[in-house]
Formats: sequence, structure tokens, C-alpha cells
Amino acid sequence: MAIEIPKSLDQLPTTRPRYVGRGIRRVEDVGLLTGRVEFVDDVVLPRMLHCAILRSPLPHARITGVDTQAAEALEGVTAVVTGEDARRWSLPAQSSPEGWGTHCIAGDKVHYVGEPVAAVAASSRRVAEDALELIEVDYEPFEAVADPFEAMKPESPRVLDAQETNVMLDRVFTWGDVDGAFADAAHVFQEKFRWNRLGANPTETFGCISEWDPMSLDLTIHGSIQSPGMFGLGRAATFGLPSNKVNIISHPHGGSFGGKGGTRGCDISCLLSRKVGGRPVKWIEDRGEYLLSGGGQAWDRHYEVALALDAQGIVTGLKVGLVDDLGATGEAYGAISAAKPLAAFTGPYTIPVAQYDLKLVATNKLPCGPYRGMGPPPHFFVLEQMMDIAARSLGEDPAEFRRKNFIPADQFPYTIPSGNEYDSGNYGEVLDQVLALSDYSAMRAAQAEARAEGRLVGVGVASAIEPGVFDWNAYAIVGMPGTGVPEGATVNIDILGNATVRVGFSLEGQGQYTLITQLVADYFGYEPEDVRVVQLDTQSAPPSFGPGGSRLGVAITGAVLGACERIREKMARVVAVLMQSEAENIEFMDGKFMLKGAPGAEMTVAEVAGTMLARSDLLPPDIDPRPEATHVWTAAGRTPADEQGRAKSYLTAAHAVHIVQVEIDAETGMVEIQRYCLADDCGTRLNPDTVEGQTEGSVVQGIGAALLEEYVYDEGAQPLTTSFMDYLMPTVFDAPKIEMVAVVTPSPFTPLGAKGCGEGAIHTTPAAVMCAINDALAPLGTSAREVPASPMRLWKLISEARNRASDESNDD
Amino acid sequence: MASESPQQGGIRLKVRVNGEHHESVVDPRMNLADYLREELRLTATHVGCEHGVCGICNVLVDGQAVRSCLMLAVQVDGKEVRTVEGLAEGGKLHPIQEAFIEEHGLQCGFCTGGFMMALCELFDRNPSPSEAEIKEVVGGQICRCTGYNAILRSAQNAAAKMSASRS
Amino acid sequence: MKPAPFEYVAPSTISGVLEILGQNDPDEVKLMAGGQSLMPLLNMRLSRPALVIDLGKVADLDFIRETDEGVVIGAMTSKRAVEDSELILREHPLLWESTVAIGHPPIRNRGTVGGSMAQADPASEYPAVALVLGAELVAVSARGERTIPADDFFVTFLTTCLEPDEVLTEIRIPRLAPRSGWAFQEVARRHGDFAIVGATATLRLEAGVVVDPRIAVFGVADRALRFSAAESLLTGQAASDEMIDEVASQAAAAVEDPLEDAHASADYRRHLAGVLVGRVLREAAVRAAEASTGA
Ligand SMILES: Cc1cc2nc3c(=O)[nH]c(=O)nc-3n(C[C@H](O)[C@H](O)[C@H](O)COP(=O)(O)OP(=O)(O)OC[C@H]3O[C@@H](n4cnc5c(N)ncnc54)[C@H](O)[C@@H]3O)c2cc1C
Repeated sequence: MAIEIPKSLDQLPTTRPRYVGRGIRRVEDVGLLTGRVEFVDDVVLPRMLHCAILRSPLPHARITGVDTQAAEALEGVTAVVTGEDARRWSLPAQSSPEGWGTHCIAGDKVHYVGEPVAAVAASSRRVAEDALELIEVDYEPFEAVADPFEAMKPESPRVLDAQETNVMLDRVFTWGDVDGAFADAAHVFQEKFRWNRLGANPTETFGCISEWDPMSLDLTIHGSIQSPGMFGLGRAATFGLPSNKVNIISHPHGGSFGGKGGTRGCDISCLLSRKVGGRPVKWIEDRGEYLLSGGGQAWDRHYEVALALDAQGIVTGLKVGLVDDLGATGEAYGAISAAKPLAAFTGPYTIPVAQYDLKLVATNKLPCGPYRGMGPPPHFFVLEQMMDIAARSLGEDPAEFRRKNFIPADQFPYTIPSGNEYDSGNYGEVLDQVLALSDYSAMRAAQAEARAEGRLVGVGVASAIEPGVFDWNAYAIVGMPGTGVPEGATVNIDILGNATVRVGFSLEGQGQYTLITQLVADYFGYEPEDVRVVQLDTQSAPPSFGPGGSRLGVAITGAVLGACERIREKMARVVAVLMQSEAENIEFMDGKFMLKGAPGAEMTVAEVAGTMLARSDLLPPDIDPRPEATHVWTAAGRTPADEQGRAKSYLTAAHAVHIVQVEIDAETGMVEIQRYCLADDCGTRLNPDTVEGQTEGSVVQGIGAALLEEYVYDEGAQPLTTSFMDYLMPTVFDAPKIEMVAVVTPSPFTPLGAKGCGEGAIHTTPAAVMCAINDALAPLGTSAREVPASPMRLWKLISEARNRASDESNDD
Repeated sequence: MASESPQQGGIRLKVRVNGEHHESVVDPRMNLADYLREELRLTATHVGCEHGVCGICNVLVDGQAVRSCLMLAVQVDGKEVRTVEGLAEGGKLHPIQEAFIEEHGLQCGFCTGGFMMALCELFDRNPSPSEAEIKEVVGGQICRCTGYNAILRSAQNAAAKMSASRS
Repeated sequence: MKPAPFEYVAPSTISGVLEILGQNDPDEVKLMAGGQSLMPLLNMRLSRPALVIDLGKVADLDFIRETDEGVVIGAMTSKRAVEDSELILREHPLLWESTVAIGHPPIRNRGTVGGSMAQADPASEYPAVALVLGAELVAVSARGERTIPADDFFVTFLTTCLEPDEVLTEIRIPRLAPRSGWAFQEVARRHGDFAIVGATATLRLEAGVVVDPRIAVFGVADRALRFSAAESLLTGQAASDEMIDEVASQAAAAVEDPLEDAHASADYRRHLAGVLVGRVLREAAVRAAEASTGA
């Protein structure tokens, strides 16, 4: 039976939603605030051992010997594993592109600093670290390559022995007559940009406890795992196990942002567990390990971009050349970040044709992984700088220049050249709202005054799309097969009418358990206290991907409402029997089943559930007497990618315009963000507090990206930013007050019209901050093309521009 | 008791944590965070960086906020320690906890304890702090989820709650 | 990230400390003050002493006292105590201002004045402040006590002139001359971080000219630097913009081998040193002028 999932709030079976669409006290908070929520490092299992990992200090070297004897002899040490154990019991990691994975512990050769070479299981982490110091590894160093342009040269040292080259992928994707557009253009602008590697850095690093029974080969892993289902399949593949042998118990975790990673360390703890007869082995990645070799380092990119415009200033073509330095292997799926821009390649604009010249390159650095936004944030940084370069050169206001290139509101659904379809939008309205909020013209007037005083004040306007509700087909160009990302929920009503919802993902911060509570409360006419959300391990949970790809809010809404619908249907049949009528005559509203045309003939959900559970003798024989249903939601209408990567991939397209004012201290290069305003449209806001929270957090991560965060490697591929003293994340002093306003254009394709919004502002913020910086620099005739815009980089640009200017005036 | 002469192996330690008396023998190299978490199983003190930057492991020692990763367990001998577990009393949330709920001041909640403990000290010293004073305290720590706006609102709300309950 | 094993002792007297120092190979021993520099190093196993002597229980090292000459601060006095001291705010607002630029409140609760001096981090605020204020540092050892002028105390990266068996006990800071102007500024990537570069200065104005200027920077070289040549250049001159610019660029030029790291090149550091010296001199001159007219 096809299930109809409400497409808008007014289709919910309630006179007026009391919870969905507003902020409520989060159900997650009390446990988190009192410390009762159990993070993985809080778990202690009987006979548990602690793992520490020895890591390569060299970026590229042959391993000629590993001596573990002294470590094994240390009191408190139970086992040591090396590359030999990894080769015996596991396979090289799966990778994207395929064939670029290695074993979790290095065998003959290390490929980057921080790569595991051995590991210890001991009575405590302290003792395990003592043992690491006793392991002797002999290395024969090789020349390392840290620069992707060097790595592409035939004479470059080769990163992986198994590959003939360091080029993982080299392809040009062309969508439409791009050459024609550039040939016919009235204006062409071209620029190079650099986006430096940065990363997720959740406050909790990755951690796990693995139990791998060497006899049954059953593998159980507790962990802080973002996508438990995927993680379990990955372990099964790595260990050559049937997928039903692996059970993942994900614990609530301290953020992820794509950066939980941890697969290597987890696999190592599994090997250790197997070696010690299946005892639980805990590995908690410490911050040093995280910064050196953890998950979520991303986007080490070199861009060359060109924009074609017609005489009216309408953009007619876009070419993006990207050399993406993915680090040593493809194991962490950094390549996906290069593919995802296809879902929104031309941003919010009507650009009809586009080209993507994509090179994925291996170097002797940590393999890149996912980070919030998964690739479009740098793409929009370059696109928006190009839009400003064009507007400035044509003498147009950047806001109005964008407006005239926006996809008009009446053209949705709109298919972009790279193949994805945007569901809905009203970009002009979003722009109007933020112009009003910021009092844009007053901002410009104030800027003019400041400039007259010689101050470097700039206003940035940037606009971007947040692709929401990912599907695998978006990543077809880097070898990800298939479509369909399921999310399931089981809703159960107990004998007293209370609801329990079972899901397959754990708390990560976005408040999905609260959202589920709101949905069920409104659906059944309940109070939030009547609803409980519990998480199951992967062997019992409904199919689940979990958070990621700005997807879970929409997907879990579909799953929960689907399950509620199924229960309603079942209950309506029960009520019909009890009232001696037909199911079509039973209406459901505000928590009550009512017989049409018979006032007073009604039953509450609790009454129906009670009857079903206590009196199955009264029920029709073909009905399952449990007031329970599971629904698994996937996005409909996703299409396989064609040979140019084109597909209907991400289901929703949220939109935002940000306006930022900055001032640069010309002498020091320090940037102060003086105002931060934004308007965004992510469709129906299921919980506006949550959306605002995601937005605020994402803005500040975006500011980190624009101004602070960078994993620095030296020319020899040695990482230099291995503590929080050097990898700089924003603090409250870097976070401006964020003024925001919402526009709501529901999605026609999703449950309740909501769009993906979890990744949020990071799509727009780095672009907006950089636009503002470049606006500030414009009078000097210079501009910043590298992210982050550190004070040193800005000072250099400013002083070079001033020196040029004084040289010129001397020449006069 | 830490003694006047160097000690091999474990050192005896007496400490009150959240009002409860504990006696333990600890390895001198064990830091306070690990002691609380491993020995006392008080796991609400989370560990974020182990080098003092992130502030997630803040606890109060004799009323002062400190990084528990930068203090040895043996150094709290004879002292009074307060952790997140000691905030809610008598089955009631502390006003700071209430304020964080009301203002959506947490998302993943991993770092929140560190903020709450540092704010506890601030409100003890200064019941009605200015925004700048709050920022100075909040600024000593990293939160990756919220973007801090909501944490500032939570802190202001908590200050208001606490001064209302005083008067 | 867990320390290597060590033994631990927390004597209650300075003589107890010295005795234990005498009984052990000084290279195997680490004194611990607030631990806010030492603990991270221990956790990362970059420091691996066999024995840690905790100064936390030593009597009489935690005080701020006013004397006829100025103030005396015990080595184990926390930065928080300095920040909370009315006496310091009144007598040494420069010290106060530099104190609140150090780290964050929980770091200042534990970190000590003596610890910062002994740590001698090139990017640390206190050594530069000690230089301009003409502080003296008092150290004791089994061989007796000695008093070391700040100008001689800081040697290079994380190195002072203290012998391995010496313990720093107090810092003496002479009173600022009446009608002095002072200033302190730093550029750090984030508030509370170690500075990329910082500068501090004191000076007086008499009959329109600068008297006894003292200028120091930190974060630029292997240790805090005082610029005596620049100070002489400024002495006896009017604190005009041109003069200050000249002094600032002289100071910047005087830095040999500026530091270089992931955040700042040598050029940038040298440049910032010039900018900040200019800024603190201007600010100090304004304060000195106000103090003169106020008096
Ligand atoms: C997140 C963070 C941010 C920080 N930011 C700054 C900053 O911006 N500016 C800044 O200056 N510092 C900063 N620090 C360092 C902090 O100020 C330290 O407290 C200080 O450097 C050392 O003081 P301590 O008392 O903690 O000393 P400890 O760490 O205990 O000792 C430091 C060194 O000094 C030696 N020592 C200590 N006391 C004595 C003594 N009496 N006699 C002889 N030797 C002694 C020790 O043996 C050790 O080698 C920061 C620290 C952290 C964790």
C-alpha cells in the first residue's frame, strides 16, 4: 500500500501543529548537560585493553625492520600488531577512486607522516604509550612530494607502489557548448585561487572499542560513529567478513562534521582484539593523533576559473579547473568532495553551460576526507570571487549583479548544466530580505566615509546553494556506484499509549531526536513527554545512513511520518472493526479516531493501542496486532548519472545570501568582522531554533575557514600544525553577532516541504568574508586569492600594492 | 598525602569531589581529568585536547576553574573539586544548565561542561558580569557546533537567573 | 597523549626543594609551578623528567608585597592573583594589562609569574614587561641567593640564566617613575593566544622631550628584546610622529634573525615589531603627556 507522507504542515492530522515548526526544549539536553549521556570514552567493558598507535615520523620511506620485542616484554602489554598482522587479517581499504587504498598498518612503506606502523594493546593508555617508545622501526627515507603539480610530473616520486602514477583522476566534464559561450562572450574573466587544507576537528575525536572473536569471527564495535551502517559495511569489506557478522553500536558523539573518520584506528583495534582472543580493545584517538592523521582534513585545492559574460553582464559560461590534492590514498573518500559540486555547479545563477577540468592527485600527505559541505564551499568561494571580479570590472553593484543572474522564482524546478535539479527557490526575495536586514545602502555609505579616511573597510555580498539530501549518484564521477540512501524509523505505541521511536543513528548535535519527538507529538496529538527516541545497534536497527549530506532532517521526517501513517492505517482498520464500519469511514485528527457522521464515536490512539495489545481476539485475523510500524524513506526520482556525471542527485537546494562588513588593519593585516547578516531559505523550518543553531555554528566554521584554519605542511610534506596552538579554530572572539532572517519556500518534493540545512552557512560564509576582504582591498588595486586570508598574507598583499603604487608615483 | 620525599609508584590522595570524600592511590603521572574519569568514574568531565587549549575538561578546584588535563591528580590532595556531576542538586538542574537548554546553548554537548564550570567560577566572583567579562571566560574555550552566539545568550540568561534567585 | 612515568614530590619548604635538587641529577628533575607550560610538554612526552618537584606546597612563594622600592611578587603567585590585585592595578597597570593578555582565565588561575619567567617562551608577555619595568629576579640554590636583572635573565628559546639547581623565588619590580607613560600591545591570531609579536614601552616627558624610554618586544626573536639603540635615539627628542616612526623602524631593523613559523614569516614579524613599537610609543607618549598635565 502506498503511503502518503504529508508534504506540508497543514497535511498533518492536527488542527494546528503545536510542536513542528517551532523550537521546543530539546529532548537531548538534560542528559548532555548532566553528563549522563554515554560517550564512547565513558564506556568501560570487562577485561578491556587500551590501544596506542605508533605512527610514522616520515612522509615517505621504506620500512626495513620493525622490532617489537621490548614492547611485548613490557609489563602490562598484552599484544603488539604490525603491518604483518594487517596483511594477514585484513584487506587494503576500499577507496574512491578504486585501487587507491592501503592496509590500516603500513607494510613495506609509509606514505605520509602519521601513518600507523605498529600498535599496542595494554592495561592502560599510559602503559600502551610507554610500549610505543620501545618499538624500533628502521626506515629508509625516500624523497617525498607535497605539491600536487610536482606530483603530476612523470619524474615525481610515486606515492603508492601499486599505481603507475600519482594522478588518481584526470577528466574534463563538459556540459553544453562551453567553447561557443567563451568565443561569443563580450567579457571573459579568468583567475587562479588557492584553498588550503583545513578540517572538521569535532571537539570529541574518534574513539572505539572493538571486540573481534577469533573463533566465531563476530565483530562488535562501539564507537563515536557518524554512519554506523556504512561503517559496518566498510569493516566487513576490510576484514572479508559477511556483513551480518559485524555489529556497530554507535554512541552519542561530540560532533563530527564529516571528521570522525577513524577507520584505520578502528581497524587496528580490531586486529589487536583478534590477537588477544577477542578481548575488548579501546582506542581513543587523542588530539595529537587527530591533527596529525585523523579524519576530516579536506580541500587542499588549486583552482583556475573563467567566467564568460554577454554585453548585458549576464554570465553565459563557467569553466572551473581544479587540481585537488587528496593526499596519499583514496581511503577517506576525499574525492567525493570534488564530485559534489556537480550538484550545484553554477550556484544560484542561470549560467547555461559549464566545464569542470578535474585532476585528483596523490601526494605524501594525510589522505583527505569529508568536511561539512563536502566540497562546494571552496567551489562557491571561487565562483563568488569571479562574480565580484566581473561586477567590479563592469562597475556594477555586487548585489544587483547577482540578482540579474539569479534563477527566476518562476523557473523551478530548474535543471542546472551539471545535471542536478533544484527543487524550489525565491532568490530575489532572499536578497531583498538581507539587503533590508543589513540596511545595505547605509552600510555602503558608511564604507565610503571610512574609505575617505583611508580605512580598509569592505562589504561582501555572496550567494550560494546548499545541496540537501544527498544521493550516491552525485559522486558517480569518482566511482561511487548506485543510488538510494535509506533512512528508517520504527514507531511503536505501548499499551498505555506512549510512543517509542527506534532509529539507527546516535546523537551528534543537530537535535534529530527532538525533531522526531515533535513530529510524533503532532501526528498523534501527544505531548513531547509521551514520546521517547531510542537508538539501536546496526544488527537490530531499521536501515539507516544517519547524519550527513544535509539529509537526515528531511529523511527522518519522511521515515517517522511514514511509520506514523502506517500505524494510523492499521489503527483505522481496527477502529472500523470495533465500530462495525469500514476503514474509509474512520477519520483521524488531533489524536482521535472518529467515525464519520457519528459524533461521539471516537477512540484515542492510546485506547486503540490498548485494545490491539490486550484484545487481539477482537481484531481481524489478518492484522498484525502490534501498534507498531517501520518506514524506510528514500528520495524518489533520483536518476543514474550519465557519462558526463549528470544526474538528479541532491533532492533539495537551499539558498542563502550573506552580507558581511569587515575592516582590515592595513599595518597588521588583521581582519575584524564588523557585521554579519544573512537571509536563507531552507524551505519549511521544522524547528527554527535548530536551523538557527546550525546556521550560527556553520557561519563561525566558515569564518574559521576564511581567516584562521589551515593544516600547514612544509615542502618536505612534514605537517606543522599538530596542536591546537597551531591549528586555529574560532573562539567567541572570532564570532560576530549573527543577524539573520528566514525566507520560506517549501520544497515540493520532500516531507513537510523541508530542505536539507545541516551543513548550512559554510557554503556561503567563506565566500562572503573573502568578498568583503576583497572589497576592502579594491582601492589598493589588489585582492586576496588564497584562503585563509591570514594577517600575514593580507599584509603582504597590502604592502606589495602600496610599494607598487609608490614605485609608480616615483616613476611619474 | 604527597610527601616530602620522592615516591615510587602510587601516591595516596584524599580529595572531596562534589562534596564526597575520596581516598585513592594514584600514579603520579595521572592527570586530574583521567583520575576523575577512570578512578572515580565521573565521566561528565570530557577531554578534548590534553594540552590546555580547548577548555572542555575545565573543573573547579577550590572554586577556581582549571584545565583538568593540566593538573596532576596528586595536586588536588586536600582540595575540593567540583565537576559537572556536582551542578544539579536535589534532582534540580543548576540555573546554568537551565539557561543552556533555554537558549539552545549546546548542540553535541561535548564541550558544554567546560563552559559551565568556567561560568560557575565567573558567577561566583561576579554575579552580574558584563558582556565583555562573559566573553573573556567563554573565550577560553572551543565549541565547534554553536558558533558561540547561543553560548553567550545562555551565559547572560544564567547570570540573570542567578541574580534573580539571590535577590 | 600521556606523560612518561615520573616520581613526584611536593616539599613544603624551599630548603626541602633545594635538598631534593641536591640529591638528584638536575637534568633528570623538573620543577613544576602552575604546570600550564610543563603539563602540555609532559603530556606530549616532549619533557620527560624522572622526578617532578612540585612547588605548589612550598610556603611563602605566593605573595604580592609593596616595598619602598616597588612591588615584590612571589614566584608561585598566580596570574589570577596579579589580575585581582588592587596594588598591581594601581602601581603597575602595565603589568596588569599584560597579565590579562596571557591565555585565558583557567590558565591564569594556575599559571604563575615565576613559571612564565622561568619558561622564557619567546612569545610570552612577561619577559618583555620585566625588561621595560627593570625587574630583578631572585633565585636561590644550595649555594645561596642571587639577584639577576631582567636584562641578563632571558638567554634564548626557553632558556634563562638559571642554573639547573636554582629556584626562582621572587620578582622585584621597581616603582615606575612618577608621570611615566606606558603601553602594551600585541598581535595574536586569536585573543588569548601567544602573540605573533607584541611590544611594550614606558617613557616620561619632561619639558617636551622624552626621558628614559624603555622599549621591548616579544615574539620576534629567540627571547624578548630591548632596543637600547632605539631608546637612545628617542631620548631627549620630542615624541613627534616622525621621530617615533624613525625609532620604530630602527627597532625593527635591529632585530637579528626574526622567528619564522607556520603563522608568520621573518619579514612579517620584523614589520610587526616596527608597527607595534610605533603604536606603544605613541600610546605611552599620550599617557605621559596626560600624566604631566594632570600633575
Ligand atoms: C592555552 C594556553 C594559552 C597560553 N597562553 C599564553 C600566553 O598568551 N602568554 C604566555 O606568556 N603564556 C601563555 N601560556 C603559558 C602559561 O602562561 C604558563 O602558565 C606559563 O608559561 C608557565 O607558568 P607555570 O606556572 O604554569 O609554569 P610551569 O609550567 O609549571 O613551568 C614552566 C617552566 O618553568 C620552570 N619553573 C617554574 N617555576 C620555576 C621556579 N620558581 N624556579 C625555576 N624554574 C621554574 C619549570 O621547571 C618549567 O620548566 C598559555 C598556556 C596555555 C595552556
